[in-house]
Amino acid sequence: MMTAFWVFTLAAIGTYLIRLSGIAILGDGRELSPRVRKALTLVAPAAMAAIIANALLLDAGQWREFGAWHVAAAVAVGVALWKRSMGWTLVAGAGAFAVLLLLGF
Amino acid sequence: MPGSVVFGLAFGALVVEAGLPAWLAPYASSTVTAGASQIAIVEALRQNAPMLIAVATALVINARLALYSASLAPVFAAFPRRWKLILAYLMTDQSAAVSVLEAPRWPDPVRRRWFILGVSGPFVAVWIAGTAAGAALGPVIPEEWQIGFIVPLMFIAVMVPALRDWPAIAAAGIATAVVLLLKDLPFGLNVLCGALLGIAIAAFVPERKGTSAADIDPDTSPEVPS
Repeated sequence: MMTAFWVFTLAAIGTYLIRLSGIAILGDGRELSPRVRKALTLVAPAAMAAIIANALLLDAGQWREFGAWHVAAAVAVGVALWKRSMGWTLVAGAGAFAVLLLLGF
Repeated sequence: MPGSVVFGLAFGALVVEAGLPAWLAPYASSTVTAGASQIAIVEALRQNAPMLIAVATALVINARLALYSASLAPVFAAFPRRWKLILAYLMTDQSAAVSVLEAPRWPDPVRRRWFILGVSGPFVAVWIAGTAAGAALGPVIPEEWQIGFIVPLMFIAVMVPALRDWPAIAAAGIATAVVLLLKDLPFGLNVLCGALLGIAIAAFVPERKGTSAADIDPDTSPEVPS
């Protein structure tokens, strides 16, 4: 438990410094180099895809047995590409997951 | 804003489900204040990751905030230091985007900072409140509901609609492949490696056909609507 407390605390300090970085350093007209800017725009898709793959396709380091998780996630991805909307994706994914669980999938 | 509530509820419930004390959920949300990284920390702790790896994973995910901070530097330039310090704390994906887009409508620095406080503050407040509610509700959610599914679902909902250019698609694809190939690494290190390699390799993918055309095979280079 104390480990968790310290992890959140250290992550909080580091995250705050990241939030402050540009505001503090770039205030007087200086700009980010295009290379750094591009790398930073790739953080979100890379990090989120890594978390999705780890949470969806693996379970405690082993392959997750095929089932409701995969099917509902596929529905969510399909709706996300079709509607380009976070809200619809959540509704469709959670709805599909609930139906699959009720069907005993 | 509703997304912020749902995400908050889910994070609170996850903290409890992972066997951590409920108060850690609102503590995390009011200090780290960045949902994706908070979920990644819970996942890392669940796999008994050492502190350093859990923190590093969170900071890699939050490195995207440096981009917002850079975009907001000219917007915040005329603000007093204490305002910069407060508004930096309230910076989130949603509020940063709104602040950058709407700032030109508020040329007066005093009105502008109150406007930004007005768009940023509620997001953070709702996020913390939602988390606390989720942590309180967590214990009554039956195990059969498999609340853990909210982790991939939430990230699919945030990431997939935003996948619009080839470097981003490449980053996501490479990260996924690395995470699966390195699945036997301990402590959730596969996630950290996946994210870092996804960023590093996709940085060389050109934004659209022809930007660095020399080394692209025209038959395999994708058709990109620009």
